[in-house]
Amino acid sequence: MINFLILPILIPLVTGVLLIFAAKRIMLQRWIAGISSVIAIILSALLVQKVRVDGIQTLDVSSWEAPFGITLVSDMMSALLVLTTSIIAFLCLIYSFWSIGEAREKFYYYAAFNFLIVGVNGAFTTGDIFNLFVFFEVMLMASYVLLVLGGKKAQLRESIKYILVNVISSALFVIAVAYLYSVVGTLNMAHISVRISEASQGNPPGIITVIAVLFLIVFGLKGAIFPLYFWMPGSYYAPPAPVLALFGALLTKVGVYSITRTYTLFFYHDTGFTHQLLSFLAIMSIIAGVIGAIAYWDIKKIIIYNIIIAVGAILFGVSAMTTDSLTGSIFYLIHDMIIKAALFLLAGIIIAIAGTSNLHKISGLIKRYPGLGWTFFIAALALAGIPPLSGFVGKLLIIKGGFEAEHYWGAGIVLMSSLLVLFSIMKIFINGFWGTPRAYKGEDKVPVGKMMIAPVILVVIAVFYGAGSEYVYPYILQAAETLANPEIYIEAVLKEY
Amino acid sequence: MSLLHLAIISPFLLAILVPIAYKLFRQIHTGWFVLPLPILLFSYFISYLSITSNQQSVTKSFSWIPTLGIDFTAKVDGLGLLFALLITGIGALVVLYSIYYLDKNKEKLNTFYVYLLLFMGAMLGVVLSDNLIVLYTFWEFTSFSSFLLIGYWYHREKSRYGAQKSMIITVFGGLSMLGGIILLYLMTGTFSISEIIAQSDEIFSHALFVPALLCILLGAFTKSAQFPFHIWLPDAMEAPTPVSAYLHSATMVKAGIYLVARMSPVFAEHSLWLWLIAGFGITTLFWGSFSAVKQTDLKAILAFSTVSQLGMIMSLLGIGAAALHFETVEDSIFTVATTAAVFHLINHATFKGSLFMVAGIVDHETGTRDIRKLGGLMNFMPITFTLAIIGTFSMAGLPPFNGFLSKEMFFTGMVRVLEMDIFNLDTWGFLFPVLAWVASVFTFIYSMILVFKTFTGKFQPEQLEKKPHEAPIGMLISPIILASLVIIIGFFPNIISNTLISPAQAAIMPVEGYVYDTHIYFWHGFTPELFMTLGVITLGILLFVTLPKWRSVYNLFPEKLALNRFYDSMLEVSQRASFNLTKLYMNGFIRTYLVYIFSFFIVALAATLVLKDAFKFDTSEVATIHYAEVLLALVIAAASVSILFVKSRMTSIILLGAVGYTVSLFFVIFRAPDLALTQLVIETISVSLFLLAFYHLPKLRHEERMGFKMTNALISVGVGAIVTMIALSAHSNKMFPSIAKYYVENTYKEAAGKNMVNVILVDFRGFDTMFEITVLGIAALGIFAMIKLRLEGGKKNENK
Repeated sequence: MINFLILPILIPLVTGVLLIFAAKRIMLQRWIAGISSVIAIILSALLVQKVRVDGIQTLDVSSWEAPFGITLVSDMMSALLVLTTSIIAFLCLIYSFWSIGEAREKFYYYAAFNFLIVGVNGAFTTGDIFNLFVFFEVMLMASYVLLVLGGKKAQLRESIKYILVNVISSALFVIAVAYLYSVVGTLNMAHISVRISEASQGNPPGIITVIAVLFLIVFGLKGAIFPLYFWMPGSYYAPPAPVLALFGALLTKVGVYSITRTYTLFFYHDTGFTHQLLSFLAIMSIIAGVIGAIAYWDIKKIIIYNIIIAVGAILFGVSAMTTDSLTGSIFYLIHDMIIKAALFLLAGIIIAIAGTSNLHKISGLIKRYPGLGWTFFIAALALAGIPPLSGFVGKLLIIKGGFEAEHYWGAGIVLMSSLLVLFSIMKIFINGFWGTPRAYKGEDKVPVGKMMIAPVILVVIAVFYGAGSEYVYPYILQAAETLANPEIYIEAVLKEY
Repeated sequence: MSLLHLAIISPFLLAILVPIAYKLFRQIHTGWFVLPLPILLFSYFISYLSITSNQQSVTKSFSWIPTLGIDFTAKVDGLGLLFALLITGIGALVVLYSIYYLDKNKEKLNTFYVYLLLFMGAMLGVVLSDNLIVLYTFWEFTSFSSFLLIGYWYHREKSRYGAQKSMIITVFGGLSMLGGIILLYLMTGTFSISEIIAQSDEIFSHALFVPALLCILLGAFTKSAQFPFHIWLPDAMEAPTPVSAYLHSATMVKAGIYLVARMSPVFAEHSLWLWLIAGFGITTLFWGSFSAVKQTDLKAILAFSTVSQLGMIMSLLGIGAAALHFETVEDSIFTVATTAAVFHLINHATFKGSLFMVAGIVDHETGTRDIRKLGGLMNFMPITFTLAIIGTFSMAGLPPFNGFLSKEMFFTGMVRVLEMDIFNLDTWGFLFPVLAWVASVFTFIYSMILVFKTFTGKFQPEQLEKKPHEAPIGMLISPIILASLVIIIGFFPNIISNTLISPAQAAIMPVEGYVYDTHIYFWHGFTPELFMTLGVITLGILLFVTLPKWRSVYNLFPEKLALNRFYDSMLEVSQRASFNLTKLYMNGFIRTYLVYIFSFFIVALAATLVLKDAFKFDTSEVATIHYAEVLLALVIAAASVSILFVKSRMTSIILLGAVGYTVSLFFVIFRAPDLALTQLVIETISVSLFLLAFYHLPKLRHEERMGFKMTNALISVGVGAIVTMIALSAHSNKMFPSIAKYYVENTYKEAAGKNMVNVILVDFRGFDTMFEITVLGIAALGIFAMIKLRLEGGKKNENK
């Protein structure tokens, strides 16, 4: 089927619309959403395989040929990210069944959920810079709804901040696209790449570098890099666990993806400036994230700051621009999506049991909830990149790539950040799971067993992703090779060029 | 996958079955299910002796991630086998001991044996892997199983503290080792130890050689509790005593020594290697034994003693490396140091293992390990007392026990440092024998404290929780076996010299075509070593007897400078400082965050503009500007600025409307009537909606003017200026014809539309429009849900 790659966008869109009409019938909503998610996973998996076998898939929407219409492009990176997104979406969805509460379910929770996935998958798939903006809007608007849904005081307060920051970054996004269009006169990403290459022969024009930095700021705001992440810890703190998991696992990663895409496809002619800057900001993100992660005694805060650390590690690999480091970055990106989702969902269970996320008030959970404890323990090790779990190979390659590119300090910081990540996350294990067991009010009402399904599956995936790296590797390598050699992408999109 | 691989992972497989066995056979102590495995493995590894004693090795490969050069290659050579035998042998004894030590009704035996088996498998993996990444994987596994075992009694504050501390320090070392491994890979292109050894001559002068060396050593030093990283080991004593005997004296802490021995062929020729290992080793030896004397807890004494003995083995490996700097390794006088290192490694496992078990028995039967409360137990526990005598005398280096032999060899090695004329050892080398001797005196003293303060002296039943009696026989078997080894090796050292020691030595310092041949003698004649031993005994007895008189020496050392204090405050300060720092800038106010974000925006873009000389202003393609346009621009500017200064909401919304309407006038001037209409409609609707909404809102109590803030003013002007400057430059830098031409040509021809804007919106870029509509739909949905759904605000729990 030619239109294969649009399905991961269309399925959640149609599902979302359907769900609006079934708002009051909760069971029906769950079935529709669940089934459509499973279909989306299957189709995305097939898409990955198709890209593996047949190379990059493209679709010129309405048959307006590139670069004049909007082109959707599934290269290996975007296909893998779409697959990961579909899996995480399904698991967050079933987790929501037992945790989000009827009130939210009746008020379009599942519809907004699906629209968020539309935006995320769309952003990963589009090959048009303005269309990317549109999908950002879809994703953001859905995220506003999910953030504010419930109307609690903290949610309203944080929504205002979140919306304000994102409206500003969207405005900057449009401005940046306008500047870029003014200079290169096109919106198709492959075409932009071709024209920038032509313009950059010998000496890359300064204006392109300026626009590159502007894009870095725009995407950096979404991706929560240093020094643009300030809005995140507060905003992500407000929503309930499955929404937080979606945000933590997917939203910032769309920003990271966009930086990766633009910095490998467009802005690779003045790496001495742009990628040095990116490398510096990545390292600073790691440091700032680590400082935040070890500062708090709050489960959610600790994991939220860990997002910033991971973003730093991924972008450090991107900035080094070797095939090894890019492979490492993609490895790590997918790992981080899986493991952050798992951790936030697990944190949600802990909070549901204990009624608080304050570590000073939680202890001895492992006595009554050994399954929860060990799942968390494994997830924590995976987060810290302990072999043979999922974080290891990515980190290994990023560090190797960093050393190869002679970024010794940066690679060293990535390496040692693992220790502090481990320290910060083990703080939760040592203080929350170990210690004297206590009784919590209302803990018996929490359906721990059912809520464990999603995080357990995620952790199992993480284990296989790490231990079975050999089977994942060819896919990741294909993704990295496309990033490292933009001509592969260009050729697939523009054919005759 | 070969039988060898299966042997390595068998503990992991059994670990899966243990919880099931625990559930099904609740009356039987779970340890009995575990015990057969280490015995079986021990006998399996014994079968390799015939190969390794000829100083040969066996390699079996199993591919794991071949694309990254990560293969699970298992290699059994003299060194690996020696460790494998220690791990399985001591493992079996420890499991047996634990069956009597841990109560099957009170303890969570399932978790205990799972952790123990994880450790056993991991440790076997460390010593039998030829691939550095696999080695590292198992290495971290040992750290985490140790973490879990130290925290076994997790309700105790001190257990948690000890577990965290050991994890932080050993994982730090592990990560640095990983860094070293990656550096080695970059130099050699392989993770295989044998292949790296084969290339060791070529990488010697590589710029990354020294960093790799340092990183690897950091891993070894932290794991083997070398000064100043030793601080985790005493706190690890919170683990149940069988664990202390197994992990924290006989096996895991020797992983660092293993690593040094294993990597010696790669690094040993470098002077840094010799200096660092010998230097840190001898310092650790001294500091450990000096600190052991002041301890009052039996296990604390043993912990510091372990630190000290690890230092001793380490220093011997360092000195042994000197042999590589002379013409022939074979007849070098320094190889004796390496021999001593391997020999003492075995001896230490035997006597220290039995001593830990003795300490466990004392604790188990009296309820305390505090030597101030103990005393006179000799009459109650004669067998335990005998075991303690054998263990401590061997540790003190007294004949006829095995510790005497290795201590003599240790002195030999240290005295020979005086003959070294390389790396400035001729100036500072004399410190080695001096420190070694002083440390041995302290070793003698704490050994005596250990045995005599516990078993002789005044019996104080009122201080003890239980009435002391001899331990059950099951608990005594393991220490008896170890103690007999102490004596057997003491009398017949040569039964292990060419089966275990020489093969290990061959792996540490491989010499092409040379077969090591070791003989250990009791009597060397009246050598300096003998007089050193006599001196140790004389001075040791003297100091032990006068201990109360000079004990105050320890108070001279200021508490504040203690390394533990340093660790604690580092942990606390880093957390507190991070918290304060984070609180400082994360104040929760969005306006502050916007200040940061916009400041960065200005600085980053202005710097790029300047550095890249990107600003360009070209008026050649600009239409002439009319007065009307200037006027409209001024109106927009004036209205925008006024919004900031007006008092009421109504006025500001009207001013906002003014801006919008003026923009639509611009569209009129630029001959875009449809856009002008759209803009007019939108402005009208939004202004009237705002007015309607504001009409219903309560009046603000203070409709104050915002105060003027210089920074904010500068930032807003800065952002405006930057955006304008880039806009001008982007406009002046049109490098390519825009794709718009295609739309002009094809709007009618291909899309059959007459209004180009419409065709772009609904056809060329209809996909965009569809999703923009979706955005509006979502927004409507969200607003409806936000207004309608109000979960009560008071409840904290999010997931109800």
